Amino acid sequence: MTDNEQQDDEMDCGLSVAERDILHEQLLAMPDTMPPRVVWKRIEAQARAEGLLTGHHYFERYKWVAGAAIAATVAMLALNVPMISSPVTDPNDGATTVPGEITASSTRDLNALKVESQILERNLRLLPNEPTVMKVSTATTIQELQDRIAAIDYRLNDRTVQLDAEQEEVFWRERVRLMNSLVSLRYAQAQRVSF
Amino acid sequence: MSKFADIRIDPSIVKRAVRGEAKAHEIIYRAFSAPVYSVGLRFTRVPAHAEDLLQETFIEVMRSIGKFRGDAPLGAWIRRIAVSKALMFLRSAWHARGQSLDDDWDDMTPGNVGNHGVSGRPDEALDLDAALANLPEVARAVVWLHDVEGFTHKEIAGLMGKSESFSKSQLSRAYQRLRPMLASHVSAANAGMDEQLVRQF
Repeated sequence: MTDNEQQDDEMDCGLSVAERDILHEQLLAMPDTMPPRVVWKRIEAQARAEGLLTGHHYFERYKWVAGAAIAATVAMLALNVPMISSPVTDPNDGATTVPGEITASSTRDLNALKVESQILERNLRLLPNEPTVMKVSTATTIQELQDRIAAIDYRLNDRTVQLDAEQEEVFWRERVRLMNSLVSLRYAQAQRVSF
Repeated sequence: MSKFADIRIDPSIVKRAVRGEAKAHEIIYRAFSAPVYSVGLRFTRVPAHAEDLLQETFIEVMRSIGKFRGDAPLGAWIRRIAVSKALMFLRSAWHARGQSLDDDWDDMTPGNVGNHGVSGRPDEALDLDAALANLPEVARAVVWLHDVEGFTHKEIAGLMGKSESFSKSQLSRAYQRLRPMLASHVSAANAGMDEQLVRQF
């Protein structure tokens, strides 16, 4: 220990060795907190605006995922809509109308899905940090899930595309499913680290 | 040095980041976002401010990574940027309130000091987080920089634009305030050990 460091220690008076040990131990044991995922999107947007980043735009990168999601939506709607909502056809004018109670039910489902999604986001934030070392396959799966969720978020927040309630519900349902997978995976990972 | 030291980034990723590759920067962000965000939270205690500091830190990383020579680990370099941003924030907050760093302790009246994290029951867990929350912001920052990040008083003084004695004095006063909580914890630990010894003999 140098003279200066010794002086420092003398100045750091008031604590016994045991008290300082406990303080250091407890400080170092304090866990890190994961930031909300939206922060990276903000950073990326600012960095692109300042010309700090090269390569494909974030949203362009996930264009294929978004395209696949739209295709899946169309396919699911084509398959599910007649079974779920059975649109009523007016024989007089040939126009197709959707019964009001079905729309109300969809709204309820949509709200429930949004709440479920929020709960899953919160649960994910409560989990310990990702370990710094992990299997490549696990890291890839987590990355893929995050990318797919990001692509869905992009679709849901894209103001240039007007989604109807049913399309929105399909996206939210898929989001909840992906979030469930992500939380389960991260939970399993946390369990492995703790043992 | 806290969690920053445990994180290793492949030099090839850093080279790609220097070229401005978005994916490389995202990898660096994912590796360091939690420790950087945590520094912001420890200093400001407000998640929105910590998010702003996280953003400012990584924008600075992107702007300056070309100057990173690789002599020290990337984590140490990012940590210094994060700490510097957090301290700049604290300074600006003081300026906004028309106060200086020196009269920070005056805000901590007995009423808002609370219980220093000392539990009413001796068997209750140590609540260091609550005790730290009851310290003035600058003192909390000094404790964190000195005891967790391993900065010397000289370095802290340089970062804060203050003298070394200012840093030492802040740490000393912070320790005095934390002492009742730590002492009760030590007593509880000693009592536990005594009990174990009695049981053994």
